[in-house]
Amino acid sequence: MSQDHDPAPASRRDWLWLALVPLGLFAGLIGAMLTVPLPWQMQLEWVPSLDTGLDWHVDALSAQFLVLITGIGTMVFIYASGYMAHDPAAGRFYAVLLMFMVAMIGAVSADHMLVLFVCWELTSLTSFFLVGFKHSDEQARASARQAMFITIGGGLALLAGLILLAQIAGSWSLQAVVASGPVLREDPRLPAALVLVFIGCFTKSAQFPFHFWLPNAMTAPTPASAYLHSATMVKLGIYLLARLDPAFNDLLLWEVSLIGVGTITAVWAAVLALRERDLKRILARSTVSALGTLVLLIGLPNDQAALAVIAFLFAHALYKAPLFFVAGNIDHATGTRSIDHLMGLRRQMPFTTVAAVIAGLSMAGLPLSFGYLAKDVVTAAKADTELLAVVSYGLLFVNAVAVAVAAVAAIRVFWGPATPAFEKVREVSWRMLLPPLLIAFIGLEFEFFPTLTDPLLPDAAQVIAPGADIGGLVAGHTFGTALTAAEVTLAVGLVLFLFWERLHRYVSGLARLDRYGPAAIFERLLKGIPRVAAWHTRALQHGDLPGYMRRTLMVLLLLALGGWLVGEPNWSSLWSVLWTSSEQAWALAGAAILIIAGAVAGPFLHDRLSLLMAIGLVGYGSAILFLFAGAPDVAFTQFMVETVLVVVAAAVLARYGEPSRYAEPRLFNAAVAIAAGIATFILLAHLFSLPAEPFLAEWYAANSLPEAHGRNVVNVILVDFRALDTFGEIAVVAFSALAAWPLLRKMRNRGAAK
Amino acid sequence: MTSRSVLLEFAAKTLYWLMLAVSAWILLRGHNAPGGGFIAGLVAVAATALVAIVHGVDQARRRLPLRPLYLAVTGVLLALLSGMPGVWADAPFLTHQWWSVEFADTSLKLSTVILFDLGVYGAVWGAFASYLFALLDEGGAAA
Repeated sequence: MSQDHDPAPASRRDWLWLALVPLGLFAGLIGAMLTVPLPWQMQLEWVPSLDTGLDWHVDALSAQFLVLITGIGTMVFIYASGYMAHDPAAGRFYAVLLMFMVAMIGAVSADHMLVLFVCWELTSLTSFFLVGFKHSDEQARASARQAMFITIGGGLALLAGLILLAQIAGSWSLQAVVASGPVLREDPRLPAALVLVFIGCFTKSAQFPFHFWLPNAMTAPTPASAYLHSATMVKLGIYLLARLDPAFNDLLLWEVSLIGVGTITAVWAAVLALRERDLKRILARSTVSALGTLVLLIGLPNDQAALAVIAFLFAHALYKAPLFFVAGNIDHATGTRSIDHLMGLRRQMPFTTVAAVIAGLSMAGLPLSFGYLAKDVVTAAKADTELLAVVSYGLLFVNAVAVAVAAVAAIRVFWGPATPAFEKVREVSWRMLLPPLLIAFIGLEFEFFPTLTDPLLPDAAQVIAPGADIGGLVAGHTFGTALTAAEVTLAVGLVLFLFWERLHRYVSGLARLDRYGPAAIFERLLKGIPRVAAWHTRALQHGDLPGYMRRTLMVLLLLALGGWLVGEPNWSSLWSVLWTSSEQAWALAGAAILIIAGAVAGPFLHDRLSLLMAIGLVGYGSAILFLFAGAPDVAFTQFMVETVLVVVAAAVLARYGEPSRYAEPRLFNAAVAIAAGIATFILLAHLFSLPAEPFLAEWYAANSLPEAHGRNVVNVILVDFRALDTFGEIAVVAFSALAAWPLLRKMRNRGAAK
Repeated sequence: MTSRSVLLEFAAKTLYWLMLAVSAWILLRGHNAPGGGFIAGLVAVAATALVAIVHGVDQARRRLPLRPLYLAVTGVLLALLSGMPGVWADAPFLTHQWWSVEFADTSLKLSTVILFDLGVYGAVWGAFASYLFALLDEGGAAA
């Protein structure tokens, strides 16, 4: 934040060297994968008393994510060194980005579910900082808040779900939970646990009805959008679902939820993509659509789907990140991302055009692209299952929109007539060209040599579908139905692209979506919170002390009423406590008279000082009562408190002058007070009908002298047995004085000003 | 103060030290008879209130061992400190330790309990004194 005020030194700093961090991690990871066989495990002690350790387990699925996180991460860091070069707050950006990377690595490597949760929430938190990076922009702040509420709120649901899972499985280890899958199904708590985990994963991976935060999160700087909101963080939900899939995949709840939500998300996001004009938002909508497809694929029960998930996940990262980079380049060079204005840029930005075309080919699933391979596997996986035809048609539409989006990003903005406004546009620097070109080329490479992915992807798929016979990508490369499906998709997609404008006009005309969509409902709920809080504060925290007292006593009356209904008063025991001897009875009666006299005088006195004396009477009466009821320490304290209170209040009242008289409902107050007094008395009688538990009192009495060397049990409890409580109390006393002092000082200054 | 009482003014300073002595006695006897840090602290507050009302806040503040908020915080820190020997003796925080010092034919028992009670005493005295001064003081900085 402070860098905002001090832009000069930060803006000249070159952060390119920071890319060495993810690059080093990436190289180390690849080296380790070539030499040390997976899975890797490590356990470190963290909070042993809570049975929580830093337990890590990296198998092929985790490794696939780690490759993406560090590999794409390297490119993002290089890209950002160009994109953020003139941003004075670049240092802050890198700090958060690094933090995110560490959290993400932790999340996909964690075996202990609490460690996973902590890393999970850390990614949400860093995402919040990045979405709200341009914090002077109102829209960015609103988007950041929305993203945080949804992902962190969903994270809390996930925590509850993980705790339930851990209780059911009797272990905090993810591996153990997955391994004990069949046993878990017997437990009646499992549906609740799964639904909570679903909420966590669906919010994180922007599934319907939580899908709306992701397009809004596009206020983040483009490197962050490419990294968090397309390639890695939003896939955390997919990761966890995939990880849990072997345990639950033939559960009806699991299948129905994932297939249902995944399909709805995929189709709906595809429709909404047609409504957007902002290139980044179009890409974000299509990301949501892809995430929906992934969720759907995890829900499919057949084994081929596992490979499809892994392949599509990988392919999506390899084409979506470059497309985001391309959008960033265009934004950087022209200052706009609206497809209304962008066209003919291929003349000015040839390299960006190449990257866009390759990545677009991959996204459209055209031959010669990794996306083609992946889509082929996806189609084959879906053809294998006798699934609802609706889902298949839905996905046909989704893929067609993906083709159209790819065409918009790769063709529409680069071809067409040159616009005079963009004549002075220049190609961006190599730092912003290398990442999209390199990632897109790697995607292309995998097409020519799909076996290159064989060490990793089939192994990762094996994690999702253990025991299945999974060949490589090539083995899954079936022609026939897959090919025709691809052709149909392509044809429909091109039609959608040609009619994009007309469709857009039609879909954006659906104004009801803005009013009744999940995003609108969420915003309304959010606006409701301060309204409820304001109402509740006005009603309860009105600042009128007698009002507080009235309400407290009335609640006491209600409680007493409840007590009367369920209990049986024991008058004889109460009486035996009051009447142990005639002397004691007289003393108690005397004290009672003092208390009653003070209390009765209260409503009739109008002078503050006399009122204070009446209150003092009540206090001293209570002290006498304690003295004869066998509590000399309490009596002693009561005497002192009362004395200090009366003396100080008398001195202060004299200084603050006459009271402002306003009408108090005195009679009503008196009635409430009397009723509360009687109710308390009856409640006491009820209390005596409960069995007394003498254990604690006897223990203290027996142990006070031998254990704590003191004969005054009350004081021994205060300073020894329960010393921590006392410590807390004196800390509160001291803190209250610290807090009250500036308030009282301010009040006095205001008085002096008058 | 508009009206002054010579008798009270004369008595207040003597009474102050007397009450502090009483409060010290209450503090020390607390372990075996009614008393203890909290009550003793309140007696000390009453003594401070007396001087503050009769001679003014400045006089009362001058007679405190520390400025009131510092006194309160020192009390809390003292109580915190009294819990540490227990930790060093490998027992839970605030497990009080006892030592006895042998004289000719009697033994004096020393304990971290008295440190803790002294902390309670200081916290109560300081915190309530600062309330008192803030309420009574009409100008100038209180604590």
